[in-house]
Amino acid sequence: MSQSGSRRQRGFALLAVVLGVFVVPLGLRAVNLAVRPPDAAPSYIPSVESPRVRAPFDAGAVAALREAANDYILIGDSMAGTRIDPGHLSRLVGGRGAAALLHPGSGPAYWYLTFKNFVVNARLKPRFVVFFFRDENLTDTLFRLYPSSLDRVARNQEPVLDELLAARARGTFYRLHGAARRVYQYDQTRAWLEPILVRAPVAWSARRRARKTLLDSINNQVFTLEALRPMVAADMATSSVEALDFDRNLPTSVLPEILRLSKRSGIRVAFIRVQRRPAADGPPPQSPALQEYVRKLRGYLESGGAVFHDDWGDPDQPLSVYEDGDHVKRDFRRVYTELFFRKHPEIFR
Amino acid sequence: MIFHSLDFAVFFVVLAAAYWMLPRRGQNALLLAGSYVFYGWVHPWFVLLIAATTAVDYGAALGMARRPARRKAFLWLALAANLGFLGFFKYFNFFADNVAAVLAAAGWQVSRPALNVALPVGISFYTFQALSYVIDVYWQRTPARKSLLDLGAFIAFFPNLLAGPIMRATTLLPQIERERRFSASAARDATLLLAWGFFKKLVIADNVGVIANKVFALQSPEFHVLWAGVFAFCIQIYADFSAYADIARGAAKWLGIDLIKNFEHPYLAKGPTEFWRRWNISLSTWFRDYVFLPVAYRLSDRMASDRRVLFDAATWAYVAGMIVTMLTAGLWHGASWNFVIWGAYHGGLLALARIVGVARKRRRRVRRWLAPLQIAGMFLLTNLGWLLFRETDLAQLVRHLGLSPFQSSVLGRQTGAYLFFLTLLYSLPLWVQSVWAESGGRDFVAALTRDEERPEAWAVAVQALLAGLLFAAILVLRSTTSLDFIYFRF
Repeated sequence: MSQSGSRRQRGFALLAVVLGVFVVPLGLRAVNLAVRPPDAAPSYIPSVESPRVRAPFDAGAVAALREAANDYILIGDSMAGTRIDPGHLSRLVGGRGAAALLHPGSGPAYWYLTFKNFVVNARLKPRFVVFFFRDENLTDTLFRLYPSSLDRVARNQEPVLDELLAARARGTFYRLHGAARRVYQYDQTRAWLEPILVRAPVAWSARRRARKTLLDSINNQVFTLEALRPMVAADMATSSVEALDFDRNLPTSVLPEILRLSKRSGIRVAFIRVQRRPAADGPPPQSPALQEYVRKLRGYLESGGAVFHDDWGDPDQPLSVYEDGDHVKRDFRRVYTELFFRKHPEIFR
Repeated sequence: MIFHSLDFAVFFVVLAAAYWMLPRRGQNALLLAGSYVFYGWVHPWFVLLIAATTAVDYGAALGMARRPARRKAFLWLALAANLGFLGFFKYFNFFADNVAAVLAAAGWQVSRPALNVALPVGISFYTFQALSYVIDVYWQRTPARKSLLDLGAFIAFFPNLLAGPIMRATTLLPQIERERRFSASAARDATLLLAWGFFKKLVIADNVGVIANKVFALQSPEFHVLWAGVFAFCIQIYADFSAYADIARGAAKWLGIDLIKNFEHPYLAKGPTEFWRRWNISLSTWFRDYVFLPVAYRLSDRMASDRRVLFDAATWAYVAGMIVTMLTAGLWHGASWNFVIWGAYHGGLLALARIVGVARKRRRRVRRWLAPLQIAGMFLLTNLGWLLFRETDLAQLVRHLGLSPFQSSVLGRQTGAYLFFLTLLYSLPLWVQSVWAESGGRDFVAALTRDEERPEAWAVAVQALLAGLLFAAILVLRSTTSLDFIYFRF
């Protein structure tokens, strides 16, 4: 064979391999057709999640909130959960009291959906909605996207959140990801294949009777929040330099949407930055990048009509009131609730 | 920029397309500019650092060539600058912490200065690559280069910049200096290497990495859970690091440049010496040539060769040289005592292997049936090493080492078994490939990298199918938790 013929052959071989990369995965569509589709529906955040069986929206909680018509609604995670005693706060504020929509292990997506679906769209009219967060959590849109918390507060479609997550998760080129998902339908394959993979080792790990509950036992008894190292929660949330770039992260965060909803509904919002675990000799150290981030966050929120308060450096919250990680001791909860009430006349007047 | 991002995909396609349209000098200019863009993507100031390293090494090497009488002075200058950058950014806080701790123990309370800057990613890798050039010029193994452009492209070559393999000046620089022509066969092999590398990273390493991270986040894991986590980390670090090496080799191959293989199925090693011939080969050989051999030779020269204390002088020189080398290698991985312990552990294993080897030299016979036991034994020792490597809290480490399998609860045993089998399931392709290649079959990747004149149609079809299946597996099974390459932090 001539040299040019051989070169052409090698060229075709390269083309075949490159084509193989893109053509073979189309077989996933055929596989999906052959496998009976599971009882899964497309996710409300399809950009970052496969179709799955979801827990229903908690309409009962919305009805209860409507009935209570509280003056104050608190939204946050275990940081607020260990600090705020809603009953005590209700007694302090009087009137129609306060409701706490706090979910441990929740993040900004949950906080936004709770505000949108439980408060604004439910046409509640509280005097203030207060969000509790740590450091850069508010602009870290991908932080804690756990179905266990999100399902309760999400409608079947959440296009605004999905768009934000897609932009955050996939960077500039997220639309390409979306196109690939539509062409190859790999999410559908994942929906039935992944549970098979995850469940397969159960049969080799436990006796027949224990198999049914093994995964639940592992999640609920071995990998629990209490079983984590004290500082792991804090360590896991240690801010990276990128996470502290406020200007870069703001457009793909839930903050602009929360402020827009607040303005539209006339519901005032406040944001409380809780203090992380202090050092032995003073408040928790803050990098210059974090200080700059907080300065910009405050400026943005206050210019948008929200109230911002920073617990950092509060002498009433020394190391001795902390328990594990950034959580405070149970007996400090009442004290913090009173401090919170006393230090925010702009909210509780 | 990280390999598993669309930013990199677009960057690479644009760069490779432009690259093959340019003459050699244009290619090198593009390589240098592209490498700096790649390196400074998140932190542009990193580029200043690598440019400074390049300038110092360029000047020092030329100085050695022009003023041979002052060669040593130029070598010290380059060593001080390169290791100074590395030491300052990587070890300053570690050093300050430990000095403050020692002073505190002596009763002096001092507030230590802290360096709050990001560690320049890959600094350990490119510093060693740059050092190999200066030292080789000093040893007259390679001439000093006059082209700053070529040297800059060598030090900053983006495919292996962040996590190796660490290339020697004698291997990579000549490739950068010669004419390169596009080869369809090489590009085909490169595509398969890329697919295999991305599969290992996104499907294997990231999925089992989640298991390891969960276990090491526990305050008091039971014996079975802990060791399942160690096994998961063992798979993660190999899949992750070798994935980076494969992607680096694939990307370089597309540009007509061959990087060395950094791994040879290390978990099938029958002993510590063999393990280090198979694991992170470029770093092992770097330490062998630039640390171990000079130290061992120097010690050997100083010891009386006829004096014998249990073993001969050469064995003692080997043992001491190995301990020094592995302690340095441990510290190279990170500014933390657990890495030093890990280095000491492996140094001890290597020294022990040497001593046992010397003692058994005369009655050594190859027993093939022993091989699986030797492999299993070495794998267990390697896992113990990974526990030392992964656990950064020394108090926790002591606790882990005191755990007994008999204290585990039923749920602890079941959880450990479940995590072990789940890790095994995800890592099955890795084991199959290793065992297949080791038992004489064609290595998946090596077989695919044959440079055929006329590829057979069936072989091309198999390659296309394999590349497509790997891509499909990545789409379907990639972890939803994207983890950084582990070796980025070193």
